[in-house]
Amino acid sequence: MKFTHLIRSALALIITIATATVSYAQSAVTGKITDSAGRAIPHVNVTIKGTTRGTVSNTDGVYNVPVSPGDSVLVFSSTGYAASEVLINGRSTIDVTLATGSTRLTEVVVVGYGTQAKRDVTGAVASIKGDEFQNLPVSGATQALQGRTAGVNVVRNGGSPGNSGSIRIRGTGTINNADPLIVIDGVPAGNLNSVNPNDIASVEVLKDASASAIYGTRAANGVVIVTTKRGGFEQPNKISINAYGGFSDARKTIDMLDAPTLVELKRERYTNDGIDMNPVWDDPSNSTQRTNWQDELFETGKVYNVDVSLSGGSAKSSFMLSGGYYDEKGIITNSYFKRYSLRLNSDHRVGKRLKIGQSLQLTRSDDNALNTTSAQDGLIWSAIRFMPFIPVKYEDGSWGTSKASNEYGDINNPIFTAHANDASNVNTRLLGNLNAEYQIAKGLKFKVNLGLDGNHYTGRNFSIIVTDQTRTTNNNSLSKSFSESYSLLGEYFLTYSNIFAGKHKLDVVGGYTAQTFDGDLFSASKRDFLNEDPKQRYFDAGQSLNSIAGNRYYDALQSAFGRINYDFDRRYLFTATFRADGSSKFAEGNKWGYFPAFSAGWRISEEKFFNVGFINDLKLTGGWGQLGNQNVTGLQYLALIGSGGRYSFNNNTVVAAAQTRLPNPNISWETAEMTNIGLNAELFNNSFSVSLNYFDKRTEDMLLSPPTIGTVGTLAIPDQNVGILKNSGLEIDLAYRNNKGEFTYNISGNASFIKNKVIKLYEGNFIGSQTYGRPNEEISRTYEGEPMSIFWGWRTNGLYQTAEDIAKDPNIANDSRRLDGLIEPGDVRFIDTNGDGLIDDKDRVKLGSPHPSVVYGLNADFGYKGFDLSLFFLGNAGLEIYNADRMQGLDPTYSFNMYEETVNRWSGPNTSNSIPRMTTKRNNRNYRTSDMFVEKGDFFRLKNLVIGYTLSERLTKNIGISRLRFYVTGQNVFTITDYSGLDPELGYIDGNKQINVDYAQYPQSRTWIFGANITF
Amino acid sequence: MKNIIIKSGLVLLTIASMSGCKKNILDSPPYGQSTSEDFWRNADDAIAASNALYSFLGDEYMFAHTEQTWDICSDDQWRAGDHPEDQAIEEFTYEPSNPQLNDSWARKYEVVSRANAILINVPKIQMDEGLKRRILGEAHFMRGFIYWHFYRIYGQVPLITEENVLANNYNVPKATADEIKALIEADLTAAAESLELQYDEADLGRATKGSAWGYLTKFYVYQENWPKAIETGNKVITGPYPLAASFGDNFAPETKNNPEVLFSIQCTDGWTENVTSIYSAPRPWGGWGFNEPIKDLADEFEADDERLTYTLAKVGDMIDAGESNGGLQPVPPGLTNTGYFFRKYVNWRPDGGLDNNMNIIMLRASDVYLLVAEAKIRSGANGDAEINAVRSRNGLADISNATMTQLIHERRVELAGENERHQDLMRWDRAGIIDLKAHYAKARGQWKPARNFQRPKNYLFPIPQRQIDLSNGVLEQNPDFR
Repeated sequence: MKFTHLIRSALALIITIATATVSYAQSAVTGKITDSAGRAIPHVNVTIKGTTRGTVSNTDGVYNVPVSPGDSVLVFSSTGYAASEVLINGRSTIDVTLATGSTRLTEVVVVGYGTQAKRDVTGAVASIKGDEFQNLPVSGATQALQGRTAGVNVVRNGGSPGNSGSIRIRGTGTINNADPLIVIDGVPAGNLNSVNPNDIASVEVLKDASASAIYGTRAANGVVIVTTKRGGFEQPNKISINAYGGFSDARKTIDMLDAPTLVELKRERYTNDGIDMNPVWDDPSNSTQRTNWQDELFETGKVYNVDVSLSGGSAKSSFMLSGGYYDEKGIITNSYFKRYSLRLNSDHRVGKRLKIGQSLQLTRSDDNALNTTSAQDGLIWSAIRFMPFIPVKYEDGSWGTSKASNEYGDINNPIFTAHANDASNVNTRLLGNLNAEYQIAKGLKFKVNLGLDGNHYTGRNFSIIVTDQTRTTNNNSLSKSFSESYSLLGEYFLTYSNIFAGKHKLDVVGGYTAQTFDGDLFSASKRDFLNEDPKQRYFDAGQSLNSIAGNRYYDALQSAFGRINYDFDRRYLFTATFRADGSSKFAEGNKWGYFPAFSAGWRISEEKFFNVGFINDLKLTGGWGQLGNQNVTGLQYLALIGSGGRYSFNNNTVVAAAQTRLPNPNISWETAEMTNIGLNAELFNNSFSVSLNYFDKRTEDMLLSPPTIGTVGTLAIPDQNVGILKNSGLEIDLAYRNNKGEFTYNISGNASFIKNKVIKLYEGNFIGSQTYGRPNEEISRTYEGEPMSIFWGWRTNGLYQTAEDIAKDPNIANDSRRLDGLIEPGDVRFIDTNGDGLIDDKDRVKLGSPHPSVVYGLNADFGYKGFDLSLFFLGNAGLEIYNADRMQGLDPTYSFNMYEETVNRWSGPNTSNSIPRMTTKRNNRNYRTSDMFVEKGDFFRLKNLVIGYTLSERLTKNIGISRLRFYVTGQNVFTITDYSGLDPELGYIDGNKQINVDYAQYPQSRTWIFGANITF
Repeated sequence: MKNIIIKSGLVLLTIASMSGCKKNILDSPPYGQSTSEDFWRNADDAIAASNALYSFLGDEYMFAHTEQTWDICSDDQWRAGDHPEDQAIEEFTYEPSNPQLNDSWARKYEVVSRANAILINVPKIQMDEGLKRRILGEAHFMRGFIYWHFYRIYGQVPLITEENVLANNYNVPKATADEIKALIEADLTAAAESLELQYDEADLGRATKGSAWGYLTKFYVYQENWPKAIETGNKVITGPYPLAASFGDNFAPETKNNPEVLFSIQCTDGWTENVTSIYSAPRPWGGWGFNEPIKDLADEFEADDERLTYTLAKVGDMIDAGESNGGLQPVPPGLTNTGYFFRKYVNWRPDGGLDNNMNIIMLRASDVYLLVAEAKIRSGANGDAEINAVRSRNGLADISNATMTQLIHERRVELAGENERHQDLMRWDRAGIIDLKAHYAKARGQWKPARNFQRPKNYLFPIPQRQIDLSNGVLEQNPDFR
C-alpha cells in the first residue's frame, strides 16, 4: 500500500516538473568548450537531449547547434571527458567546461577541509563511488563498504536487521573504541548508517597519518568522509526512482538430535555413570519428535526499498531532494528494521565571490531489540538447545514450556519469547550543515562551515508476566528511555592556492574548529499493569513506580589546524599537516594534544629520464605522522560518587551512595604513530592501475583499565595510558578495465595483509574477556607479544580409549583425579604442557588467532549493450574461529539438546577419538576451552551478484523516461567455507576483547531482490 | 547584492560566536554525580554511605547465592541447579580457577572499601555525635563481618584497611592469620561499643550491638576461646533479642524483623530482589531449583520437631505456591530431584510470583544460644539451659547433661539451610570431635555419594587463581593448592 502510494506521488511530481520545464523558442545556441585548464576541446559531440539532432565542436572548441522550441537540454560528450548536460534555459551562448573523466588519475578526491586531485595525493586515500554499492539490500552504508578497498574491513557480529557492523581501518588500532571518525558532508557525525546508501556520491577513506592528521585526536582509527549527491548548476531537473523488493532466508541451521535419539543419549549418561535414571527419561512421550526449533524460528525475511530523488539547477542555484523508505523483516520471527530518510542539499552563488551551500538530512530508524547474542537466553542459542519433544504450543493453545523438569534446560520457548517481545528502538536524526565560501582575493578564500547533528532516541520495552516458562518474570513492567543529543560544529578557515612561475603549485589551508556534544537522557520504569492488552501498555496504566533515572553529559573539542601542499613541476609533491586539539575528556594540563604529519611524493613518470612505454604514471609516496584517539570515557580524572544503590530497612526504602570510580588525574589521549610507503601506477594506456601501500602503525599510551586486583573492590578503575599496540601491513589494490566493442569489463581486487601485535600491557599482565556459558569458560585473552584477543585454553590429544591409556598417561601421572578414578575411558586426553604430571590452569596455552592473515575483495563488472552484470566476492583467510556454541552443544552435562554429531560419541574402545562419552559428570571437564573447538574460519563468499538490463532509450523516451533499468541482486549468494557453524562472518564481542567467537549469533541471510531504476 | 553578502556574513559571525567562542568550552562538569571532593558534607551523605554498606550484600554473587554455595559440601543438601562448577565444590575436586571462588572476592572487598571510606571520612563531618558513632560502628561491623567470612572460606587474605586506601596500596600479600583475627575481633568489638541495642521501625535491620556480639561469639567459639564466647554470647541472651515465639516467625515476611534475627539482608518486593529465594524455589514453581535438601537431613529431625515443616518441604506436604502455580496442593513427585526443597527462604505471593519481601537471614539468636551451649560443653560446663531454650520453643522435651553429639544434632536441625553445617563439621573435625573424612566418605544415596575430603587441604578453599594472576606473584596460593 505504502509502495503504490509513493509511486503515485512520484508520478504526480514528475508531471508537474515536466510541465514546468517547457522550453522557449529560439534558433541556435553557440559557445566554446574548454577543459579545466582553459584549453579548447575539439570534436565534442553536442546533442539535443531526447533527439538525434546535434553537432561537433571545431578545432577551437566552438560549436553552433540549431535548436527548436521544446528543446531544453544540451548534452556534451567526448572521449576522455565526463559527459555534461546543460539546461538551455533561453540562452543563446553557453560556454562549457568539461572535466576530464577517462583516467582514475584525474579524479578528485575529498580530503579533510578540501579536495585534491588524486594524482597529487601523497597519503593513502581510498575513494569508493556510490555507484558501487547503490541498491544493495543493506540497511546501511557501513555494510556496503565491506571489501571495497584494501585496509578497510567491516565486521558484523550477527546479521540482525539494522546491525550496522564495525569499520576497522588498518586493523584494530586500540583495545578501546577503534571506530574511525565518520565525517558526513563536512560534519564529524559518528554514524554512517543513518545515511541512505543511495544518497551517497562517494566515500573517501583516509587511511594513513598524512591524510588523516588534519583530524587530530579523532583520526587515530582512520577517517571516513561521506559526500552525498548534489545537484549541478545549469542541469535540467531530473527525477530518479529506485525501488526494489525481495526476500531472504537463513543459509543453514545446526543439525540437532531428534527426540528419540536425544532421549537415548540422555539415558546413556545414567547407565554410564551407574546412577539412577531420572524418571523423566523413562517417559515415552519425550521420545516423540515434535519440533525443530530452528525451523520454527527462522522464516523467510522480506526487504523493500523505495527512494525518489529530484535534482537540478539553474545558473545560480542547484539542489538535490530525496526521500527514501527501507523496510527489512529479518529471518527471525518478529525482527525488523525500518528507515525513513529525507535529504535536501543545495548550493547557491550569491554574487561573484560568495558561495553558500547546505546539506540537511532527516532520518528515522526503527527496530526491535531481539536478543540474539546471549549464550544464556539468546533466541538462536535457545532454539538450538530447546527440547525437540516440546511442542511450540500445546493442544489447549498454551506455549510449550520446559518448566516440568530441571532436565529440560532453563530455557524459555524461543518462539514464545520472540512473540512476547514488545521492544523498539527509534532514532530520529537531523544532520545538516551550512557553509559559505567567500573569495577574498585571487586564490584566497575564507570558508565557514556550521554543522548540527541532533539525535533523538526512544527505547521502549514492555515485559509481560511470565509464569509458564522456566525463566519467569514476576511483575510486568514498561520501561522507556529517552535521550536527546546534539552536537554543534563551527569551523572557520582560509584556503589559498596559487601556481608560481608555472612550476610551484601551493595549496594552504588553516583555521579553527570547535565542536560541542551535549546530551540529556532519562529513563523510567513502571510495573504492575493490571491489563497487558497492548492498548494498556502505557505508563498511566502501571500501578507502581520502579525507577526514574536521568542525566546529562557534555563534551567538547577545540582545535586549530593547518595543511600545506607544495608541488614542484608536478614531479615532487610535499604535504605537511598540523593539528592542535583540546579535549574536554581530560583534566586541565592534559587537555591539549599536538599532531604533526608529513608526506612526500615523487612522480617518477614525470621525470625526463623516465621512458617506459607501458607505464603511464608512476608515483612513489612516503609519509609519517601522529594521530590521536580521545574516544574514551570522559571524566576519568575525577573520583565519582554514585547514589544509585538500593536498600531497605524493614521495607522502608533507602538509597545508598558509594564511590563508583577511582580517579586517574593523568589520563590523556592515545597516540598512534604511523608510517606509510606507497606506490601507485597506471599501466597499459591507463587501463590497469596498481596501488601498493605498506604501513606501520604504533599506538602508544593506549588506555587500559588495568586488570584490577580484587582487593580494590568493584568500583570502576580508570584507564591509564600504558599500552602499546602495533599494526602493520601491506595493502594491494588492482584494477583493470577495457572494452571490446560494446562489451565492457572492469575487474578490480584488493587484499590486505595486516598483522596485529600487542607490545606492552599493564605490568606484563594479560587482559581477559567475558566468559562463556554456565561453567564460565574463559576463551579469549590478550597477551603481550601476541595479537589481541587470542584463544586461550588447553591442548588435547584425542580421547582415552581404555583404562590402561589412563593409567599410563604421563599427562596425569600426578593428577589426584586419576587416583580417585574420576577420569574414565571416553574422556578427553588433555596435554600437560608444563610437565608437572597434572592438568590444571597452568597448562593453558595459545590455541589460535582470530585475525585473518588476508582479507580480500574481488569485483567484476561486465556490460554488453543494455545488459550489466556485477559480481562482488569477499574473503577472509588464515584465521581461526572459536566455536563456543559447539563446545556447549556437544556437552552432555548440560540439560539441553545436543548437536547431532554426538551420535558418533565414544561408546567403547576405538568408537571415537573426538567426541567424548555420555556422562552427567564433569570430573574431567571434557568441554573446557580447548583446541577441540578451534576451527579454520576461512571463507570465500559471493557477497553480491547483480544482473541488470537497461531498456534502450529509443523505447523509453516515448513514455518520457530517459533511463529504465531492471535488475536482480543476490546477497550472500554462496559461501565456500569449512567452518561448521552457522556463519563464518563474526565480529567483536565485549569491546574488542573477543573476536570470532561463535555464540550462535544471528546469521547473515541470503537475500534476493528485484528492482528497477527509473530516471525521467 | 552587497547587502546580502554583509547580512550573511553577520549571520554567520553571530552563529560562530555562539557555537565556537564560548568561554571554557573544554570544561565538562559531571552532571548528576558527586565527586569525592564534594561528597561527605553532612549527616545525609554519611547515612547514604552507611546504606551502601548493606546495599551490596544481597547481590547474587555475594551472600544471596555465591556464599551459600559453600554449604553444598555439607551432608544436608545436593547442589542441584545447573552451575556445572558446583559439582567440583560439592565433590572436593575444585581448582583455584573455579569461578565461584572468584565471584564474591572483589565484591566482599567492595564492602571493605565502603567501610574504609566511612572510617576515613565520616569522623571529619560536623554532625550529630550519636549518629556519627553509630555510622562508624556500622562500618566497623561490616568490615569485621566481611573478614570473618573471608577467614572462614579462604583462611588468610590481604587485609585492606584505612592505611591501604590512603596510601593507594592494594596489591599486598596475605596477612597472617593472627592479623586477620585481630582485625575481626577489634572491628566487631568496636562495633559492639558504638552500635545501638535496637532501632526504631525506620532503621530496623541495621547492625545492632546484638549483631556484633553474635558474630564475636561465633568468632570466639571458632578460636576455642570459651570464656569470651560465653561472655559475649550471654550479652545476646540477656539482651533484647529473645527467641521468637515460633521458629517459623523467622521465615515469614510479616515477622522477618523479629528481635531473634540478629542480622539479615533486608529485601523489599519491587525494590530489591531476594535472590536466595529465587535460587531455592523449585523450578516449576518459579525458582531456579538449587540447593535441594536430601533425605539424610529430613531424617535428622525428631518425630515431633515443628522445625521440619518450616525448614523444608517434601513430597505430599500441602503448600500454597500461589495461583499461577496451582494454589494449595500437595508437593507433587518430581517437583525437585531429591523430593525436597528448602522452605526457609521461599514464600509465594497469592498470584504465584515469588514474594521478595522475605529477608536473607545471616544470624539468629538461637545460633548464639547453641554457640554458648557448645562453649560451655566443650569447656566442661553445662549447656543445657541454652540448648533447651532452643528446643522448648519447638515443643521438644528438655534434655539434661547435653553432650556434643546432642549439640551437633541440635545445630543441624535448627540451622539447616543457613550455611553453617559444613563449617560446623570442619570446626568439630579440627577439634577431633568428629571424623569428617569418614563422615563425608559415607554414601548418602544418589544425591550425596561418598566423597573424598582431604585434610588439611579441604579445610580451606583456594585463593581464586585470577587474583593470584593479577597480583603478579604478591598473593600466594594456599599451601595445598600450589
